[in-house]
Amino acid sequence: MMYDAVIIGGGPAGMSAATILGDKVKTLIIDENDRLGGQLVKQTHKFFGDHEHYASMRGFEIADKLLKEIQKKPVLISLSSTVIGIYPQNTVAYVKDGQIQKVQYKKLLLATGAMERQLPFVNSDLPGVYGAGAIQTLMNQYGIFPGKRFLIVGSGNIGLILAYQLAQSGVEVKMILEALDKVGGYEVHANKVKRLGIPILTGHTIVRAIGDEKVEGAVIARVDKNNIVKGTEREVVVDTICVAVGLTPLIELAEQSGAKVSYIPELGGYVPLRDERMRTTNKDVFVAGDLSSIEEATTAMMEGKIAAMQMVEDLTGENLEDKIYDDLNSLAIFRSGPKSAKIRTGLEKMGINVPKIDLPKPQRFERYDDSKLHAVIECTEEIPCNSCEYACKFDAIKVGININSVPSFDPAKCTGCALCVTSCPGLAIFMKRSEDKAATLGIPYEFLPLPKMDDKMWGLDREGNYVCDVKVKRVVKNPNKTNIVYVELPSEFADMVRHVKYPSKESPYVCRCEEVTLDEIEKVIDLGVTDFEELKRLTRVTMGPCNGKNCKMVVLGILSKKTGIPISSLSHGTSRPPTKPIEFRAFLKEGEE
Amino acid sequence: MEGRILEHPILNFQRKARVKIFFEGREIEAYEGESVAAALHAAGIRVLRYTPIDGRPAGFFCAVGKCSACLMEIDGIPNVRSCMTKVRDGMQIRRQNKNGDLL
Amino acid sequence: MRDSYEVVIIGGGIIGSAIGFNLLKMGVKDICVIEKSYVSSGSTGRCAGGIRQQWSSPMNVRLAMRSVELFKNFEKDVGMDIEYKQGGYLLLAYTPEEEEDFVKNVEMQRSQGLDVEILSKSQIKSKFGFMNLEGVRIGSWCQSDGHANPQIANIAYSMAIKRMGGDFITHTKVESIDIANKKIVGVQTDRGYIRTNTVVNAAGFESSKIGKMVNVDIPVYGERHQILVTEPVNHFLDPLVINFNHNYYIRQTKHGSLLMGQGDANPMPGEDLGNSIEFLEEMSQKMVRDFPLLRNVHIVRQWSGAYDMSPDAQPIIDESKDLSKFIYATGFSGHGFMLAPAVGESVAEMIVHGKTITMDISNLRMDRFKNHIEIEKNVV
Repeated sequence: MMYDAVIIGGGPAGMSAATILGDKVKTLIIDENDRLGGQLVKQTHKFFGDHEHYASMRGFEIADKLLKEIQKKPVLISLSSTVIGIYPQNTVAYVKDGQIQKVQYKKLLLATGAMERQLPFVNSDLPGVYGAGAIQTLMNQYGIFPGKRFLIVGSGNIGLILAYQLAQSGVEVKMILEALDKVGGYEVHANKVKRLGIPILTGHTIVRAIGDEKVEGAVIARVDKNNIVKGTEREVVVDTICVAVGLTPLIELAEQSGAKVSYIPELGGYVPLRDERMRTTNKDVFVAGDLSSIEEATTAMMEGKIAAMQMVEDLTGENLEDKIYDDLNSLAIFRSGPKSAKIRTGLEKMGINVPKIDLPKPQRFERYDDSKLHAVIECTEEIPCNSCEYACKFDAIKVGININSVPSFDPAKCTGCALCVTSCPGLAIFMKRSEDKAATLGIPYEFLPLPKMDDKMWGLDREGNYVCDVKVKRVVKNPNKTNIVYVELPSEFADMVRHVKYPSKESPYVCRCEEVTLDEIEKVIDLGVTDFEELKRLTRVTMGPCNGKNCKMVVLGILSKKTGIPISSLSHGTSRPPTKPIEFRAFLKEGEE
Repeated sequence: MEGRILEHPILNFQRKARVKIFFEGREIEAYEGESVAAALHAAGIRVLRYTPIDGRPAGFFCAVGKCSACLMEIDGIPNVRSCMTKVRDGMQIRRQNKNGDLL
Repeated sequence: MRDSYEVVIIGGGIIGSAIGFNLLKMGVKDICVIEKSYVSSGSTGRCAGGIRQQWSSPMNVRLAMRSVELFKNFEKDVGMDIEYKQGGYLLLAYTPEEEEDFVKNVEMQRSQGLDVEILSKSQIKSKFGFMNLEGVRIGSWCQSDGHANPQIANIAYSMAIKRMGGDFITHTKVESIDIANKKIVGVQTDRGYIRTNTVVNAAGFESSKIGKMVNVDIPVYGERHQILVTEPVNHFLDPLVINFNHNYYIRQTKHGSLLMGQGDANPMPGEDLGNSIEFLEEMSQKMVRDFPLLRNVHIVRQWSGAYDMSPDAQPIIDESKDLSKFIYATGFSGHGFMLAPAVGESVAEMIVHGKTITMDISNLRMDRFKNHIEIEKNVV
């Protein structure tokens, strides 16, 4: 069977290409999975980008939308089909239902994506050491808990997003390790994770996994210039280790097709050489998506479209130049921010001209009038996204032509509608109104259970530390699942609190009598209480019927550890009578019964 | 924590029909559309095989058919990628003996 | 701790803390509170936490009513839940004289705008069927009275002070106060010297000692009062009950435990804060008699605290006539906690405006002792 266009790989790049090729030429799309969408179907977070390119939609929703578009067109879709090779005479061989199939193409688009990079450490082969994609598959595709306690290695966007997704499923993430001295992914992704209380340890790596039949823990240590710093090793108890240290383009089919590959580390390693319009050194073979450079799904979709339009021009002679220029321009703008510097360098190495595009600075406005509800935008890193600008119907938010610009926010125009809060993929916009004493804070919330009116919750700061108790005043449910929880709190904390959670139930009980947990004790110490007597009065720890016999030393130990004050220098309270509980009736004189 | 996610703030998991699959002869809960590796994981089974040379326990790594960590014997056939194979009613799944017995 | 402040408050109990908090609220940022031990280590941390407005002197009623207003907003204002509950206060009268006093007091309290009423014995019985009311004639009842946790309130103030930019220095003792040309110039502590022109003496039962440092006589002395607490039991008691005749008070905390105390038959002046077994014996007998349901409840702890007694059992709030900018707020005689929010506000006003604005508390000046002394009777 001969096709005008064969697309291998039905992820974001391949699907986008199919939407263009589908009704112009005879098209076949082949994918190994039982549905199209690639990694998009496992992405529960909202995407960055330009609102014209699906910004603010969640990955799986984008996959659904693309699929609906493709299904309207006469595209042949071959699922559960594993391509085994590209052979002479433009032949693609694949296995479907246990049978080999052969098709020929006039033009081939390879959108085979990438695969998880390995990180060899001792016992990295133990069951329970999983790639980030595997965890997303298990959790977001099959709805199966991937583990109970996680260690994530790698703080790129994938590691950060995964940590957030795990927390959404109710799984504990102990920490994220990053060997470099700064977080790799977007700041807003990192902030989303940090305010949940998940620490990101930079300058740290995993030394080994612990366990016989499966992961039971890990040894981690500091790293300095790729070397483990001796003596800094320590154990953490986890049952699953996620390796999220990057992706490698899957270039095998490209090489078999005759396309030349070259080692360009900025683009992810060996990548097919190609021109601006995604054509490889074989004029009939195009590439798009992670195969061409490890980047975002958004750029993959743009590349897929550009490749597809060029393929249509080749095949039909139709002139699509205007549209191609538009998309090339969008792509160049998307890549003009600081986070794409590596990609730009890689493309230049490949001989692609990367235009210089201005990145205007945001406009500064007057101080906010805090007495009315207004947005607070905490998006300070230049990343390609303008969903807030699009969401705002009142012109209060401006990003401008270059979507990498940091948004300018004019509080005078803000009506407090909070549409920007809901749409922001980075969950970096909050609502605030602050009066003399009490403030109202609107926090984007994507967890279960949804807080209930009047419930008391813990207000957490940007690092996930307890700040103060807050009271739930209003919960706004949104169709896109980014709900907004409005809480009331003392106004002096309004600029500190950025997340809320129900008081932890998992923490161990320290004081049995009064049921005081370690979390509660640490939370009070975090408030600055360093005196045992004050700690006791605020938590009731040691104030139960046992008068502290059971827990006093433990509490002093916790206090000493957290404050660095030796136990011997701490006050340990007064031993008051009665030393054992005694009934009132015991004091009655005989005959008073 | 093993088992299936029942409630999720973003996703809505609609499970299809229950199917009976067997791991080493023992019945395991599974639903149509799930991969073998996923269903086993939900049942708390993480060791999918022992490596042929060093005999080390191994589970899946990529779960998308791109590595060979999850090979199992399914319905008598060894070296099947359990992460890419969907469960079927009556399926017999075993940890294979080293590289898999053909006889 | 810095080496200079606009205002130095001596005493980090509820009174000193409330004054500090109100000064910061009024914009006086350059202040510090000096506490010799930890926050709530003194009388505040030992008190039962009752908040009542049923007093025998109009001044106390007004001051308490203002405090209740402020307690209602405490959580929002100061930033911490202090277990405040307006569960009411029930005062019980056993003798014709008590009955007469109650009726008179209620009339006076109503004239001050307080919603308070006399309850007949059967009304009390229907409200609190679990009590043994043998011998009770009438009760005096005010629903807006209540109670809170004084320790948490004290710490809440101290944290708010730090948050708002003031200093709250614990474990630091004042050793002397320096005067030059009849003006305060500084305070010597065991951790350094502080330059200041304004000192507030809120040192409770030790305020006379602070007074002595600058030759100002403050007629306040400590008097030991004992208190005990039981294991928690499920909630059954809303109000704080005062029984003058049987000499006790009792309340149930939010946590469920019962806090109760009495006035010692022979109050011990001074600073001995020891405990006596007789106290447990006396309280047990009273409780089993008046609250039979407490018979098998366990006492888990006893302690004592010092009332800062003044000659008329009423607060002394004033600026010294002999030494300007030496201000004292003391002599609360066991009722400092409940009055603290209003006192804090008034004293801060005195410092900021030279006079009180919200309340007229001139009755509480020191010079009243030159005349006839009218003792507050409604005390345990």
